[in-house]
Amino acid sequence: MNDLLSNYLPIAVFIGVAAVIGLALLIAPFAVAYKSPDPEKLSAYECGFNAFDDARMKFDVRFYLVSILFIIFDLEVAFLFPWATVFGDIGWFGFWSMMVFLGVLTIGFVYEWKKGALEWD
Amino acid sequence: MYSAIVFLPLIGFLIAGAIALFAHPTAPDGAAALSGHGHDAHGHGSHGHASHGHASHGHASHGHDDHGHGHGHAADDHGHGHDDHHPSAPGSRAAELVTSSLMVVAALLSWVAFVSVGLGTGEAVRVPLFAWIQSGTLSVDWAIRVDTLTAVMLVVVNSVSALVHIYSTGYMSHDPHRPRFFAYLSLFTFAMLMLVTSDNLLQMFFGWEGVGVASYLLIGFWFQKPSANAAAIKAFVVNRVGDFGFALGIFGVYVLFNSIEFTTIFANAQAMVGHKLHFLNGNVDALTVICLLLFMGAMGKSAQFLLHTWLPDAMEGPTPVSALIHAATMVTAGVFMVARLSPLFELAPTALAVVTFIGATTAFFAATVGLVQNDIKRVIAYSTCSQLGYMFAALGVGAYSAGVFHLFTHAFFKALLFLGAGSVIHAVSGEQDIRRMGGLKEHIPLTYSMMVIGTLALTGFGVPFSQVGFAGFNSKDAIIESAFMGHGVFATYAFMLLVIAALFTSFYSWRLIFMTFWGAPRAPKEVMDHVHESPRSMTVPLMILAFGAVFAGMLFTGLFNGYGHGWEAIKGHYDAFWKGALFTGPENRMIEETHNAPLLVKASPFIAMVIGFVTAYWFYVVDPSRPGAVAAQNPGLYKFLLNKWYFDELYDFLFVRPAKWLGRFLWKEGDGRVIDGLGPDGVSARVVDLTQQVVRLQTGYLYHYAFVMMIGIAALVTYMMLGGSH
Amino acid sequence: MALPALSPALPEILLAVGAMALLMFGAFAGEKSSRTVSFGAMGLIAVAFLMLLVAPKYGTTFSGAYVLDPFARLMKLLALAGSGFAILMSLDFARREKFDRFEYPVLILLATVGMMVMISANDLISLYLGLELQSLALYVIAAIDRDNVRSTEAGLKYFVLGALSSGMLLYGASLTYGFTGHTDFAGIAAALKAHGSSLGIVFGIVFVLAGLAFKISAVPFHMWTPDVYEGAPTPVTTFFAGAPKIAAAALMVRVVIDGYGPIAKDWQQIVVFISIASMVLGAFAAIGQRNIKRLMAYSSIGHMGYALVGLAAGTQQGVESVILYVAIYLAMTLGTFACILAMRRKDGPVEDIGELAGLSRTSPVLAFLLAMLMFSLAGIPVLAGFFAKLYVFMAAVKAGLLGLAIVGALASVVGAFYYLRVIKIMYFDEPKPAFEPMPLELKVVLGLSGLFVLGYVLIANPIGTAATTAAASLF
Repeated sequence: MNDLLSNYLPIAVFIGVAAVIGLALLIAPFAVAYKSPDPEKLSAYECGFNAFDDARMKFDVRFYLVSILFIIFDLEVAFLFPWATVFGDIGWFGFWSMMVFLGVLTIGFVYEWKKGALEWD
Repeated sequence: MYSAIVFLPLIGFLIAGAIALFAHPTAPDGAAALSGHGHDAHGHGSHGHASHGHASHGHASHGHDDHGHGHGHAADDHGHGHDDHHPSAPGSRAAELVTSSLMVVAALLSWVAFVSVGLGTGEAVRVPLFAWIQSGTLSVDWAIRVDTLTAVMLVVVNSVSALVHIYSTGYMSHDPHRPRFFAYLSLFTFAMLMLVTSDNLLQMFFGWEGVGVASYLLIGFWFQKPSANAAAIKAFVVNRVGDFGFALGIFGVYVLFNSIEFTTIFANAQAMVGHKLHFLNGNVDALTVICLLLFMGAMGKSAQFLLHTWLPDAMEGPTPVSALIHAATMVTAGVFMVARLSPLFELAPTALAVVTFIGATTAFFAATVGLVQNDIKRVIAYSTCSQLGYMFAALGVGAYSAGVFHLFTHAFFKALLFLGAGSVIHAVSGEQDIRRMGGLKEHIPLTYSMMVIGTLALTGFGVPFSQVGFAGFNSKDAIIESAFMGHGVFATYAFMLLVIAALFTSFYSWRLIFMTFWGAPRAPKEVMDHVHESPRSMTVPLMILAFGAVFAGMLFTGLFNGYGHGWEAIKGHYDAFWKGALFTGPENRMIEETHNAPLLVKASPFIAMVIGFVTAYWFYVVDPSRPGAVAAQNPGLYKFLLNKWYFDELYDFLFVRPAKWLGRFLWKEGDGRVIDGLGPDGVSARVVDLTQQVVRLQTGYLYHYAFVMMIGIAALVTYMMLGGSH
Repeated sequence: MALPALSPALPEILLAVGAMALLMFGAFAGEKSSRTVSFGAMGLIAVAFLMLLVAPKYGTTFSGAYVLDPFARLMKLLALAGSGFAILMSLDFARREKFDRFEYPVLILLATVGMMVMISANDLISLYLGLELQSLALYVIAAIDRDNVRSTEAGLKYFVLGALSSGMLLYGASLTYGFTGHTDFAGIAAALKAHGSSLGIVFGIVFVLAGLAFKISAVPFHMWTPDVYEGAPTPVTTFFAGAPKIAAAALMVRVVIDGYGPIAKDWQQIVVFISIASMVLGAFAAIGQRNIKRLMAYSSIGHMGYALVGLAAGTQQGVESVILYVAIYLAMTLGTFACILAMRRKDGPVEDIGELAGLSRTSPVLAFLLAMLMFSLAGIPVLAGFFAKLYVFMAAVKAGLLGLAIVGALASVVGAFYYLRVIKIMYFDEPKPAFEPMPLELKVVLGLSGLFVLGYVLIANPIGTAATTAAASLF
């Protein structure tokens, strides 16, 4: 039982450190930050929208573009994790497969870059 | 030679037909042809067409007497006038020349044949051509059979046809479709020759239908005229009624004799007397039934009472056609057929009685109608109908030779009258109503004299108690005497009607002459200014026919009817000419008995003729107001006659309307509603319905689409679970 | 682990690499490059076509998930031809209609790669891979004219319904895997042979076939077709009507014959149902159409129904008839769309059937060829379309599916109506103003198609032989 618990000690330490840092950063602004409040700054913030308003409103399609592009790359990069865990077992075929995959991903990235999808204006 | 006689017209037909087919007029066909008849500015078409239905539409009181037929047809029958600019088909001249010259050759050969067969001693000639049908016991060959009867018919047909061909070159000279016209004429002649030279009933039927087709084509020659089309259809349909009987008769003959060859039939006819046919739960005398059926065909073709209605309407055709087909040749085919089948008819006295009755009735009926007609061609048409009645009456009492002789002479003078009428019409710019003529005798003396000769021949002018007289004198008087002496049930009836008809004949014939040629001109001045004698091509045939009309009776009466004193002598001469082509039973002594008729009887036709002439002279020359007064005194009778005993109206009511109603019913209800409705139309309507349903499924809403997919897969899964192979 | 032998998939690899290269070229060169990219794409397709011609007859790779056999080769050649001609026929339209996006040929190339993967797929996974590659490209192509409401609507509908159908396909594939323990067709067939059918397998087949039927737009999974055909730009419709149908039909054939072959009784009923529904709906619904593209949508639904008649037979002759049917259908449909693309006046393209009025007088050659194509689509004898129908009906009759053949024949009678109506309008109605002159490439396509349709009777033999060889490789 102790063995089991002692095995999780690093995690407990990790949680503790994280909590300390988090709290420190949370509290520090109250002490050191420059304060100049106005109504706009004091209102709740949510992705550029009014928090309490009609949900059926128009907004810029570029929000979606950015988020979709993010999700695509996010998901595809996620393939790297399983690949990395078995990297030793799959040999050169596995290696080059991922290289090809990343190459295709890069081409897609270049395309969206050249098309200006990453520019806000 | 005989083959040449028969097939020369066929060659003419083929050549002219080829010209008509392959050489088109340069101007647009329809336009040229429509206006080709020059005078139809008065709109003849619907007028003439509607005339049949007038009475039943409540216009009886003035339907016909004002400007009925005359006007209706006035414009029709002529290709003359201001239409010289109409182009005619190239090769028209060639077609005319080829057909006419071939016909002249055929006509000359016919006379040679007549002399060699009739006056020679030879037996009947049979020229086999080739086999036609071999089926079981039925065996039919194409063959040409020439005996005296055929020779007589060959002469009649080819002579009149040749003259009509020549006449037509003048009469039709302004028509753009001459090659077609001459092709039809030659086709008709060929079919007629096939008919008269036939060796068996089927070949005769072939010719019979062939002349029917040619007649149809020629009546409807001016096919742009609705009235001509209607008349052509009427002629064809009415003839079909008769042909139905004829065909049944042929079947009956085959049932009875197991053959339709004349030779076989005639040889076995005697043995079949008393034979019974089982028909409709009863036994009927076979020969009587067959003869009546065959006679039905003759009635149709020869326009006898009850089936006569097509003949007057057939005058819609060009006048030469009326002369050739509807006066001289085709309409006599019925007479020829009965005469040809005399071996059968002679053994069926009941049938002969019917023939007598129908013939006499027709003679009387047509003569009464002829009294009041105002269209020059219709008067002659009813006259033809009446004279055909005479012929049948003669055949019916057993005087075959008298009937055939009248056929022979009638061909000359009736063709003469028709062609003369054509010449008159030609002269007065297409007018056909005799009330709009008058005073023409100074202007067209030649035509006038020809018409007078024709009339004298028709009315039977001659020296009583002798053989000196115009053609009709000899032939018609022989018929009337035969009728008096006849032994049949209807012989006396026939005699009385025929004498009265002779009176009427005389009256209407002279009425025609007086109204047309005498008195003051009633035609418009501009018409009178243009009155002119016809060209030589038309008058020469008239003169040749006139010669025949004058002399045919005197020259041939002895030959046809036998001569001499006493039974033996007469019979001897009779047989020498006919050589058995006309069969007479052993008791039949008509050829001798006619000579023994009482003097009053012999004189009766002459007396009737004189009375008719005097009356006509009085009515139309001395006191022209008289006819109107008489008509006014007897309005019912006048209208009855003017409307031709209301036969057209009666048939319209009895047959035409029910048939049309039935046709319309079957068309609209049977075919249109039931068959089309359940068949093509119904199916296509359901298809359209289904289409609309299916298209409505395609709403455009995405969720509907997805729903359909889900329903589809659900249905498939359900089906596979429940109804599939598990 | 060594690299797998890539040679059976070389044309696909070439196309994929080429597509990416062209994409890069286009991205760097800008919009003006579309014409160059189009020609590059056609060149790639031509090279792939030639490579396929000289490729060895048989070959498998990727652990047996990918197979190259005569059947695959023939269908790939057809699909490549369809894609190549589709790009060719879009050139003029692109220039006139400001439709010059270099992505269009690239997407077609990618879709083509997907099709080729589909055709060669010998495993449920490669099947799905190819299908999705093709579909994703097609979704975008359908909406490529993104400023046009109808085009975007078409693309969106196609995408949503396509996703639904992909879901069904995947569901069916999972069921199949679950009940047989295999994803490769041979393994599935072996398992089915050993254990026979079961309800789960039948469910799987229904869902797999539903997903595939969507791709060939067979009833009741056809609903997207008319809207997409009508809404998409005409060159896109041209492409949609051709190559993807070939690929999906080939995939369907391979799945049911190779994969589900041992339980033919089950899938035959499904195919019969889909086939009848497609033929009948195609025939009836087309009658009500006025827009020629919409008409062609229903026409293609009907034609896929006829092709499925051959598949329903399930025999080698049946497969052969399917191959011939889709080949002839491809030729006819390309020619017809060449005519539709030629329907253009000064102020732009027209799509109403009524605009064809009197075409026989304004441009007799076009009218004649279109009339021949219509006759052929209707299945009038001696033209190619007649033989196509004859083959499938004969195969069905031989397999004992007489009723199916009769329904097919009746449906083709009804269907003949709307084809003949087009001819009637062209030949008997009062002429409308003439169309603009036809660009050369359309003339070429139309001429080839017309020649094929008219002269099929002369070349039926070699084509038949090729189809026989291809069909034999599946049995």
